[in-house]
Formats: sequence, C-alpha cells, structure tokens
Amino acid sequence: MNDQALFAAALLDPDAPCPDGLTTWNGSDPARRFAVYRNNVIVSLIDALADTFPVTLELVGEAFFRAMAGIFVRRTPPRSTLLVDYGSGLPTFIERFEPAHPVPYLADVARLEMLRVRAFHAADADPLTLDQIAQALTDPERLPALRVTPHPSLGILSSRYAVVALWAAHQGLGALSDVDPYCPETALVVRAGLEVQVIALPPGGDTLITGFATGLTLGEAAAQATASHEDFDLTAHLTRLLRFGALSSLSLPTEIC
Amino acid sequence: MSNNTLTSTTLSAAALALALGSALALSTAPAVGAEMEKCFGVALKGKNDCAAGPGTTCAGTSKVDDQSNSWKHVPKGSCEKTASSTSPTGFGQLMAFTAKKKS
Repeated sequence: MNDQALFAAALLDPDAPCPDGLTTWNGSDPARRFAVYRNNVIVSLIDALADTFPVTLELVGEAFFRAMAGIFVRRTPPRSTLLVDYGSGLPTFIERFEPAHPVPYLADVARLEMLRVRAFHAADADPLTLDQIAQALTDPERLPALRVTPHPSLGILSSRYAVVALWAAHQGLGALSDVDPYCPETALVVRAGLEVQVIALPPGGDTLITGFATGLTLGEAAAQATASHEDFDLTAHLTRLLRFGALSSLSLPTEIC
Repeated sequence: MSNNTLTSTTLSAAALALALGSALALSTAPAVGAEMEKCFGVALKGKNDCAAGPGTTCAGTSKVDDQSNSWKHVPKGSCEKTASSTSPTGFGQLMAFTAKKKS
C-alpha cells in the first residue's frame, strides 16, 4: 500500500495505528490529532446519512441508527464527492443487518427516503400539458402506439410493507399507531417544481409505469397493467399520473415495426 | 382472428381514448402533494419542511417559532385554521407574509 492508501485505511479503522510520518505544527501528539480527525470523518458521514434517512432514524431511534450507520460508513466509504448520493447502499445493508431484523420494513422505508433525495436532485422536465393530451386525442388511432416518458424524477417502490403510510405518519400525517405496517404498498415518488411528492399507488400502477419506463407503448403498458390486476382502473391511474405531473412527454416512435 | 391477437398485447384505440379523455377531464388542476398545502407561519422553530439531502437541506433552518417565511406541509384546508403567533390574521397563511410586530 502507498502512503495515501495507508492513510485512508487508517481513517476507517479505529484500531489502526496512526500512519507513520505525520507531524504537527505545535508539537502535540500526532496520534491524538489523527484520532480526532478520524472521528470527524466518521461522524460527518453518519450525519449525512441521518440527513438523508430521517424517518429510518426515527423508526429505530438515534442511538441504534448512528451505531448501524457507523458500521456502514466503515464498510462503505463514499466513492463520489457528491454527498447527496451517499447511502444508496444503506437499504440493502439494513436488509442484511441482523440487529435490524425486528423492524422488517426498515430497509424499504430507507429505499423510499433515498428515492426522495434522488427525485429532489433529478433533472427538470415540464410535465405533460393538457393541450398535449388533447392534441394526442385528436388522432385516437395512434394512441396505442404512443410512447409515454415518465418525469426524470419519478421513482417506484413496490413494498411488502406499508411504506407510504409509515413515512407519512412521520410527517405528521396520521398516527403511527393506526398504520398496519404489514399491508403492502407501492410508492410513487415524483417531483413537481421543487416539491417531492410521495403517493401510494393502487395495484397495477407499478406495472403501468414500469412499462412506460422500459419503452412499451401506451397500448402495451396499459394491456399489461390491466392483465396484472383484476381491479385495475386505467382512467384512475392516468388521472393520478397527470395530476401529480408524473409524465413528461407523449411521442410516436420514429421506427415503424 | 388477427384482431384478437392484437388486443391480447395492446389495448384498443377506443379504450385508450376513453381512459385518456376521462383522465384529461378529471385532472384539470395539477395537485401539489397528496392533498397537502404549504402553510407559512405555523412551523415551530427548526421544524420547517423542505428536505433535499445532506449538505443541501433547508429543512429545520427556521430561527423562531411561526417564522413568517418558512413553511410546513399540512393537510389541505387546515392551514388557515392553524393558529400562528406571527400572522396578522392570527392563522397560518398559504403565502409567505410579513410578520406582525410583537405586542
């Protein structure tokens, strides 16, 4: 290992000795100064995770969250200089972190919080306007072949747990005691202007949006979603997506199959 | 018939026109949040909303209780019924306002 790698490794390992060759300007003990710096590195990264995952933190409490985040930080230091992206691996880490298993929905709540941060920083795009939809409706024969582009900030999370209700209860919307965490929910996360919205989708909504996102046509995605769930209501789903600005364009594919 | 194989993979133009047309009519006013509204002047000190992740967050930055230019998400319709110590109307407002002088 070169000096830089040794220094970096010692920063993440509380038991590692102070790297050789460090000096201080005022004659104080380099090992003590290094220990302070090492502590600040870890604490600042734990603070960053606490900022990204506030509900995850509330669900398990500050002490548990910070201890868990500390282990994650030492195992998974940042790979990018962008702190906003840090922690994308935390949900999977939580899933495998045995002490967190008594809170089985914790990982999915963390996934939802990461989607919110991503949505906040995603590219801008104008949502579909009513005029554009009215225009598309003037030529109904072409509707099945239209491609629908989701808003760049859009994220979907299909959970076995009531992620939206759990998250909302921590925003002061409804009491946590009223939430059945074992009721499966699909969360839609999308930004309108500067505001990140979290919406619970009825069954089939994930199939419809995933279809749009993977390049299926409007007709194909609607057919798959209709087949995926017996109560699928296309009108209600499209209304919801339009109201929350979740779609950004309608276009005819250039290639003709 | 060939028509059957078509409808098994894609929804018909008529069905889509009906659904999209109804959706258009039902969605005339884009909603902000799930029936929430921004409410100015009701957040306790440091409890205002707006989270953008680490290093960028503006949430929790308000300096005083009921700060007139910091907002909190509240269920729709409840903002103007929430008491505010700084608001000239005595209640939260949907826009940032000038705080009244402390009496």
